[in-house]
Amino acid sequence: MDLKKKLKSLIHKQDSQQSPVEEKISHDDFQREPSFTKFNQQQVTNPEEEQEVIDSIGEVYFKDETHDTSQLELEKLPEKLELEQIDNDRIKLRRQLQCVSRRVSELVLQNHPAYVGELQRVMELQKTLQLGSVICADARRQLSVARESFTTASLGLLANYRKRQLLKGLLKSLHTIKTMQRTDMRLREMMEEGDYCGAIQLCLECQKAAATFRHYKCISELSSKLQDTLDMLEEQLDVALSKICTNFDVHHYEKVQTAYKLLGKTQTAMDQLHMHFASAIHNTAFQIVLGYVELCSGTKETNFQKKQYADLCKYVTIESFTPCLIDLCKALWGVMRSYHKTMKWHEAHDIQTDSTESDVSRNVELSFDKRYIKQKLENGLIRIWQDVQQKVRTYILGIDLSEFKLDEFIQFLDLVNRMIEIGDEFCQSKSEGLQESLKQQSLNYFKNLHRAKMDELRMFLENEGWEMCPVKSNFHIVNLVEFRFMRHLNKDILALNHIDNSIDTNDTNFQERGGYFQDVIECSPFEIHVDQDENEDVFAGVGDVEEVERDSDSDSDIPDELKHDYIDEITGETHSRPGRRRITRSRSFHKNVSLVTNTSLNICRVIGKYMQMMRLLQPIAFDVLTSLAQLFDFYMYTVYIFFGYDLHSMDGLEINNRLKTTLLRIQTSLIVEVPLPSHTESTSQDNKDRIPQPHLSPIIDLHNASRLYGLAERIVAVESLIFLAQQLEFLEPHLETMIPSTKKAFLQQFYSQTVKMATELRKPVYWAVSSNVIHFDSILQSMSTVKWDIKEIMSQHNPYVDILIKNFADFHLRLSELSRHLPISRAAYEILWDHCIRLANRTFVDGYANAKKCTNEGRALMQLDFQQYLRSMEKLVDIRPIPDREYVETYIKAYYFPENQLESWLQEHREYTVRQLQALVSSVDHINKKARQKLCSMLEEAEKNKR
Amino acid sequence: MSETYDFLFKFLVIGSAGAGKSCILHQFIENKFKQDSNHTIGVEFGSKVVNVGGKSVKLQIWDTAGQERFRSVTRSYYRGAAGALLVYDITSRETYNALTNWLTDARTLASPNIVIILVGNKKDLETEREVTFLEASRFAQENELMFLETSALTGENVEETFLKCARSILTKIESGELDPERMGSGIQYGDASLRRLDRHKQQRELKKPDCTC
Ligand SMILES: Nc1nc2c(ncn2[C@@H]2O[C@H](COP(=O)(O)OP(=O)(O)OP(=O)(O)O)[C@@H](O)[C@H]2O)c(=O)[nH]1
Ligand SMILES: [Mg+2]
Repeated sequence: MDLKKKLKSLIHKQDSQQSPVEEKISHDDFQREPSFTKFNQQQVTNPEEEQEVIDSIGEVYFKDETHDTSQLELEKLPEKLELEQIDNDRIKLRRQLQCVSRRVSELVLQNHPAYVGELQRVMELQKTLQLGSVICADARRQLSVARESFTTASLGLLANYRKRQLLKGLLKSLHTIKTMQRTDMRLREMMEEGDYCGAIQLCLECQKAAATFRHYKCISELSSKLQDTLDMLEEQLDVALSKICTNFDVHHYEKVQTAYKLLGKTQTAMDQLHMHFASAIHNTAFQIVLGYVELCSGTKETNFQKKQYADLCKYVTIESFTPCLIDLCKALWGVMRSYHKTMKWHEAHDIQTDSTESDVSRNVELSFDKRYIKQKLENGLIRIWQDVQQKVRTYILGIDLSEFKLDEFIQFLDLVNRMIEIGDEFCQSKSEGLQESLKQQSLNYFKNLHRAKMDELRMFLENEGWEMCPVKSNFHIVNLVEFRFMRHLNKDILALNHIDNSIDTNDTNFQERGGYFQDVIECSPFEIHVDQDENEDVFAGVGDVEEVERDSDSDSDIPDELKHDYIDEITGETHSRPGRRRITRSRSFHKNVSLVTNTSLNICRVIGKYMQMMRLLQPIAFDVLTSLAQLFDFYMYTVYIFFGYDLHSMDGLEINNRLKTTLLRIQTSLIVEVPLPSHTESTSQDNKDRIPQPHLSPIIDLHNASRLYGLAERIVAVESLIFLAQQLEFLEPHLETMIPSTKKAFLQQFYSQTVKMATELRKPVYWAVSSNVIHFDSILQSMSTVKWDIKEIMSQHNPYVDILIKNFADFHLRLSELSRHLPISRAAYEILWDHCIRLANRTFVDGYANAKKCTNEGRALMQLDFQQYLRSMEKLVDIRPIPDREYVETYIKAYYFPENQLESWLQEHREYTVRQLQALVSSVDHINKKARQKLCSMLEEAEKNKR
Repeated sequence: MSETYDFLFKFLVIGSAGAGKSCILHQFIENKFKQDSNHTIGVEFGSKVVNVGGKSVKLQIWDTAGQERFRSVTRSYYRGAAGALLVYDITSRETYNALTNWLTDARTLASPNIVIILVGNKKDLETEREVTFLEASRFAQENELMFLETSALTGENVEETFLKCARSILTKIESGELDPERMGSGIQYGDASLRRLDRHKQQRELKKPDCTC
């Protein structure tokens, strides 16, 4: 250990000392024998002993080297020196020394080879170190040389190099700036080319670049300029966007959209787009109307530009109304289509982007955008349609269309209806605005038309000669061109009877209707079938000889259904009283005749037109129906006024009360009141919608006995009315399907109260003939000459019966004559005779009541007379039973009653007048005078009470 | 739409079947040729307001059926007509030959002062002409009729015919030859002239208490 340390310290010493000195160290020094060997080895002891000796060595000796052992031993010596002791100690020490020396030598010997090896390495190291030292010295020397000769030059060089590098960078920047400045021009070019996308991209790049070059002074100017350009670009883009509204172009739109996307302004773009659409609608509408207004006004007025749209619409002339409307609709449809395409584009585009985008956060933003756009577009639909509707509506209501020809009006309707359909397809809108305006215009138009038709009808009536218009005997309303439309409908409509069609057909329309926004349809829906079908087909001409030709059997094209209907209608009426068919005598009196006048034929035609209008003008169908009813009302009223009104004596018996009410209703609702001198003002307002009462053509003479008091005209009038009523009844189911179900009550009422009452008009009209044609007064006269207080039974009837029968026979003859030119209906025939017979019966009773005195024999004569009359009548006419015969017979026979029976009979039979009853009582000669007086006063009393 | 007019004239269109009466009327009112014209049944009616010499005149026109069997039902329309178009077909001598009968009818049934214009229709069918212009105009002269040849197909002279007739009536009114006040003249004052005549009329009405006959 100690040795090692020593060596180390030695090496340290060598390091610090000059190396050359070390070289002089001789290795031999170490090879020498240690010094202690000089001591002889007298005491070779065994190892244990030796160990013992060593152990006995005082601690002090191992303490440290510097310790002076000699000194120590000396000090140990006692004061009193004892040799022996000292010698002992000396021996002892010597032995110790010997042991230690031996041990040391042993150790030295033991470690010597290692020492030698180590030393060897040290030597080598020393050599290497010396070499390194030489190199270092050399390098130092060289370095100092270099330091001296290079520093300044290289520094300069480096600095220059760096400068060069910097300048290079600057040059690049300047180049970029220069390009950037030039970019502006390029941007403008790109804008003009419509490459908004590229332009924006470029612009944005420039801006980014500008930001990195912010430190250059010139850049600030450039970047503000760039901002301007960008703003301008956005404006340009906006303009480009606005062009979409009137003419959607996929590529164009795609470009614009991408551009907006680049700007990160897709939502703003959407908002802008909607604004553009709104203004496009306005501008388009305004420009079109303006164009037409200016075109038509010539150069009179020039400030139309400044007018409001609604005002402007009022300047459209009636001639230019339709073309302008077509253009307007076309243009507005164009805008709508652009909108539709925009939507379609977005739908398609969204699907595309869905799949391509992968970034999550970007995706969220995108889907938000998408939702926003979708919402906006969907909401926009309704807004757009509202705007369009508003424009069209304002236009429609701008002017009065009542001067339109019917087909022109139909075309107008068609256009607007098409627009409504478009609206429906566009956004499922019910288009209340348009419907309303359509209704308003239709109503106005129809009212005017109806007014004209009513005036026309009045003229027809005033010129009517009440001659039968020669049409084939089985003429039916469906033969007229105006009813051609019903042949298409034929059975279907009857089957549809109970279905409320207004909603139904709308639904089917919805399904069948062609898509107005399908891409394939590039031409506007306002150019397709406007001119072909509607005009020609619906309102074809008025003449139609083939259908109404007398001889032709041309109703083959009428569906069988209708024929049946028609026949049923007839037989239904004639079969109502059984037994009549057996009678063959008056075959000339027709069961049923198709009897028309010029006027009623015209009414039929107008009805046909009205029915077509009901189909076309659905919203005002009911108004049309009420007008249609007025046509009939007016005819019926006129027939009554002309032929049934001038009655001298019209017992309540003859005119139906319900008919009376109906006629009164017509008069108050339809006919101009003849102003009373006292209050002319108050009625004038009401009269505006009414028609003056027509006057019978002066060529008609209803007072000429030789012409049977106008019987022919009366028949034509009433029977044509009834025929018209039958035609209307045939139409009832059709009409019913055409009006809202809520209005059906009106129809029913019209039929039950008016149409069905037409037959009732026969009575008052024919009454005038029946009451004049037989000279009842002269009969009564000749009856008064007959004596009834005879005492014997007569076998011969009185001559007045012959006179009466002669009268009847004459009438019968003339009637048959008439029926050769004019089909007289069975019903007319019966009513005429019924009246005559009833009047005759009355005459009989009147005549018999005139008898002051009467005997049983006289009464028998009365019976004989009456029987004679009955028998003759039964031969003459085929009316069974003879009406009212009991009326006469009962009166005659009452004479035979005893007093008490007569009293109750008198009370029961109020169909006789008091005068007739009193006459009966006073003529009875088998009751005493007192009793007669009593009965008479009883009658008087009853009469008084009645009042 | 209050139709204002100064006068109302009742017109009549007569002549043999197929002469083109209905087509002429249709052309006059609708400005179109009536393609599928069938024989008229009874009468048809049409009206139009025209401007004649600064006056607006409403024409009420009755188009009658020319077929023989309708004679009786059309007679009642003659009465009180102020003007009549007597139509024949230049390609059919038969229709021309019937003119005398029609003329007698018109003169007897209508107002004696009726203004009649002879109309040779189907002028467009020059190649099939059977009645020359000269012949017809001689007939017109002899019977004191005005005369024009028309084509309902092309519309040539159609409006002119009506205007000419109306103009003639108007001149007669102005010269006093025709009196609109007379019953059955076929002439009425319209709203426009009524207003002018208002005072007149009121006085007259006092004198004529009841004219419903
Ligand atoms: N080429 C040509 N044909 C015409 C002209 N006018 C009428 N027609 C034809 O003549 C035929 C008869 O015409 P309508 O007008 O019906 O004759 P109408 O005089 O009214 O006949 P009725 O009503 O029976 O009295 C039709 O086929 C028309 O097409 C015309 O100016 N030129
Ligand atoms: Mg005709």
